[in-house]
Amino acid sequence: MDFKLLLLYGFLFGIGFGFFVQKAGICFAHGLGEIYMGKGKRILRIFLVIFIISTLGFYLSKFIAPELGLKPIGQLRGYGFYNIISGMIFGAGILLNGGCILGTLRQMGEGNLLFFVVFLSFIPGMALIVYVIDPILKQGYQVQNILLPELLAVPQPYVVGSVVILALFWLVMLSRPKKK
Amino acid sequence: MAEKKGFFNPTLMYAGAFAVLNVIMYFVIHKFWIGGSSFLPMVGKLGPNKTFLFSFIVNMGVIVGALVSSATNREFTLRMPAAKVLPRAILGGFLIGIGVTLAPGTCTTSFVIGLPMLSISSMLSIAGMFAGGFIVYRLTIKSQS
Repeated sequence: MDFKLLLLYGFLFGIGFGFFVQKAGICFAHGLGEIYMGKGKRILRIFLVIFIISTLGFYLSKFIAPELGLKPIGQLRGYGFYNIISGMIFGAGILLNGGCILGTLRQMGEGNLLFFVVFLSFIPGMALIVYVIDPILKQGYQVQNILLPELLAVPQPYVVGSVVILALFWLVMLSRPKKK
Repeated sequence: MAEKKGFFNPTLMYAGAFAVLNVIMYFVIHKFWIGGSSFLPMVGKLGPNKTFLFSFIVNMGVIVGALVSSATNREFTLRMPAAKVLPRAILGGFLIGIGVTLAPGTCTTSFVIGLPMLSISSMLSIAGMFAGGFIVYRLTIKSQS
């Protein structure tokens, strides 16, 4: 596909994402805060719905095009050490400013100019890693791409089926009305 | 945000629509939504096959989509930030910039793409996020309340 056409498709899909994210009020930074306060049902249910649909959809996609299907996202760096550290730094960042990536983009769309400041503040952090830290660390990286079924040495359908059923069960439990 | 119970409430419907659209994008153009790495073009990194540039454009669309949605809801209002919250926002943004670049696929991508793909790197990133977020919550938010 021509790259310009790809960009156009991407932009149009992006508009759809933004529309639904704003309507649903998705922000995992707020969600983490709710979980820490013991009020995590809302974000857990949102997450479980996204998880169930996406896991099934991504898995089934390989039956339409063999090059699709489940793929590792990002990289497992330094046997996962850098993933945990970067997750911790990212988690600290989103709790400080109150917006994950989707939340930041949504808030910008809603006219909250604070999140333009947040958005621009990504630049020095990214530049620090790309131009200073990465060139030093890269030599010592052990980089892998692994999926859970490979790690467990269990065929994909069994793992996908099990996690989707568990997620569905959890969603049903969270959706049950409280007994008075 | 208050949310109605049951499966068929608007919040869950829209969250589901987001996931369905993401799967459709994967089916149609063989790409999916990417969060943090999409901003690397701002520091001159376009990624293999200009993947990050593509994702950046997708996320510009996300802003437009949120604008359209908030305008139709009458929730759009231009809000100027208070000076006292700026240092915290800048520090938070700086940390996000580090986090998303140190290990790709660390950010929101882990929740909406990485975990559904059953990617181990995303599972570790989410564990780190919970820990990092909890430390900040205990040190700042909870101590203020």
